[in-house]
Amino acid sequence: MLEVEGINAFYGDFHVLHDASLTVNKGELVAVVGANGHGKSTLLKAICGLTPVRSGAIRFEGGDIAGLKAPQLVGQGLVYVAEDRRLFPDMTVLENLQLGAYLPAARGREKHNLDRVFSLYPRLAERRNQLCRSLSGGEAQMVALGRGLMSDPTLLAIDEPSLGLAPNLTETMLQTVSQLNQDGLTVLIVEQSLALLKGMIDRVYSIEEGVLRETDTDNMQEVL
Amino acid sequence: MTQILEILISGITQGAVYCVVAVGLSLVYGASRILNFAHGSLYSLGGFLAWYLVAGGPGLPLWLAVLLVLPVLALTGIGIERAIIRPLRGSDNWKINTIMVTLGLAFIIENGLQLVFGPGTRTIAPFVEGSLSVGGITITWYKLSIFVISLALVGALEFFLSSTRYGQAVRAVSQDMQGANQVGINVNQIFGLTFALSVVLTGIAGILLAPVFLVSPLGGWAPFLKAFVIVVLGGLGSTKGAFVAAFILAVLEAFVIFYIGPSWAMPAWLLMLIIVLMIRPKGLFGVWEN
Repeated sequence: MLEVEGINAFYGDFHVLHDASLTVNKGELVAVVGANGHGKSTLLKAICGLTPVRSGAIRFEGGDIAGLKAPQLVGQGLVYVAEDRRLFPDMTVLENLQLGAYLPAARGREKHNLDRVFSLYPRLAERRNQLCRSLSGGEAQMVALGRGLMSDPTLLAIDEPSLGLAPNLTETMLQTVSQLNQDGLTVLIVEQSLALLKGMIDRVYSIEEGVLRETDTDNMQEVL
Repeated sequence: MTQILEILISGITQGAVYCVVAVGLSLVYGASRILNFAHGSLYSLGGFLAWYLVAGGPGLPLWLAVLLVLPVLALTGIGIERAIIRPLRGSDNWKINTIMVTLGLAFIIENGLQLVFGPGTRTIAPFVEGSLSVGGITITWYKLSIFVISLALVGALEFFLSSTRYGQAVRAVSQDMQGANQVGINVNQIFGLTFALSVVLTGIAGILLAPVFLVSPLGGWAPFLKAFVIVVLGGLGSTKGAFVAAFILAVLEAFVIFYIGPSWAMPAWLLMLIIVLMIRPKGLFGVWEN
């Protein structure tokens, strides 16, 4: 479904990603694990059209998407959920979710997806009219994930959902992601620690100083 | 008592028109963090275009002139964003640079207007004559009309922002640009849209006030300065703030003009601004901060 081949990305003059290659097949839950500052977020942002790629190829469902920007990719079903949530703080929970279905492709399924998000997170249904700036970290993460689902993704790229969450909330969040994957959603997730993802992922890549390597999950545990 | 009421009403009617100019300025700032220094010149442009169509040449009825001027204003706004703002976005010091280029644009528009129409002032005859008297208070039908039109414009803008998909997108862009990108909003398109709306609003205000304040090539600076003070007092980027501040300042202005004199209006505004900013540095409704 997603093939990344030898991409290079820069942050200013700093070379962040070195010839990174990665594959995600339909229905998989693939993780990229590495410490902070090694290029995990840049990788996801580069794939999702939020950061420019200087060289290399990215294909999504057969089409070449390198160079396309996020708004075009969202319409094709490649949706990014940011580690820092990126909610609209002075808008309500409901408005944030509705904006997930901004593009015509997702609009047709807005009602269906909203029901799905609310059944996933009844708490968001209770707080639908609350401004997002007043939400707790856990609730904000629910809205971020919910808004991603509202875009009707075929591949959801989730950037470190555990960031800033208490351990029990992280666990619930990751269980939800795992559940979504079992229901058929393809997921590419980035995390700092593999331990958090134990038992739920199909394949894992490690990233170190911008170099990406596929590792088998058992080996990886020893490394970390 | 009647007198005080009359001053109050005069302030409120004036406030509605100021509000139209100010929300336009605020809308663009909110979405794109750009302070458009040509906002006042575009106000003059609206006035001149309507004057030309009504009294300068073709002799069209005012409503038809406005109908023709609106798309020109909207396209002007889109053109400004596309041609001179977008290329600068993201470059070093782009916010300062956009101030410089919009200031330059203001001079180009002003001098263009002088070149085409000459330096003199023009006026458009009011579309209604006469006045309304109720309980000893008199107000011209014209002032009452532009009050209603202005409120309708601001109300329509509020409705657009709060209840339509594109309006939601405008607010989304102003609150988190990356977030807006993530949900598929074409941010450039939204910038163009806010510029179009902003120029339309200030241009209409220029037309509405033409019978009262006249139109002249340099006549846009006073409304720009007023809109600027209103927007800062209300909180940069907050249309609700601009709405409230416009009425507060216009009423203040009406009383100052009556009891002290017209030349004290602006000093009173600035004094008010200083006091408010001392208590609330972000203005009345300036809540967000990146």
